[in-house]
Amino acid sequence: MTGSGGTNRVHADIDALKGFHEALVRFRYAQRGVAERGGDQIEMTRASLAAKASRWQSRLEQCQAELDACRAGGGEEAADCSAYARAVEQTGERLEHIRRWQQRVDIEASEFGGTASAYLDLLDSDLPRAESQLLAIITSLEAARRVPAAET
Amino acid sequence: MTARPDRDGAEQLGLLGTAWEEAAQHWQDEVARRFDADHWTPLAQRSRAYLEALGTMMDVLQTAERDTEF
Repeated sequence: MTGSGGTNRVHADIDALKGFHEALVRFRYAQRGVAERGGDQIEMTRASLAAKASRWQSRLEQCQAELDACRAGGGEEAADCSAYARAVEQTGERLEHIRRWQQRVDIEASEFGGTASAYLDLLDSDLPRAESQLLAIITSLEAARRVPAAET
Repeated sequence: MTARPDRDGAEQLGLLGTAWEEAAQHWQDEVARRFDADHWTPLAQRSRAYLEALGTMMDVLQTAERDTEF
């Protein structure tokens, strides 16, 4: 601790350390919340993509059934089923697009999971250790400052 | 997607950095240097790396949602 120029200065430095200690505790809780919300966002997007894939899968099956019905329903003249065929193609492409995004999100989430897990370890073990050490430093400083005060 | 967690996390890290700077103005002995090297610097670096990775992940999620709206 630098300097010792008067009571206010003594209190100012200990108060600053206490302020930092409180900020560390707040930060730990806040970052846990941040990590939790990050995980929630990943799961929400996964669920959203799964719902979209399911919806477009149903639509594809419906389009395919309509195309099959068109092809089967022709009389002597072959019916023009090109619009149905285009709908099947377009719906299939959209479904594939969603599935590619599902795969990409899974890959990115898996890579991010390692980083997130390591950071949670830091929040749960390293940071409380730092807080305890800081608290011990504050306590010893307060004790050291009280000794001369009590002797006078 | 509502308020992005990576941005909130960065704001919290900024607040903590300010508190550290305030403490460091008064605390400049060997114990402070060890605390800086052993705890503060690794915490700040790993927090920044995590928040950057989280930001990248949030970007991917936002793009995935936007790009699959037909």
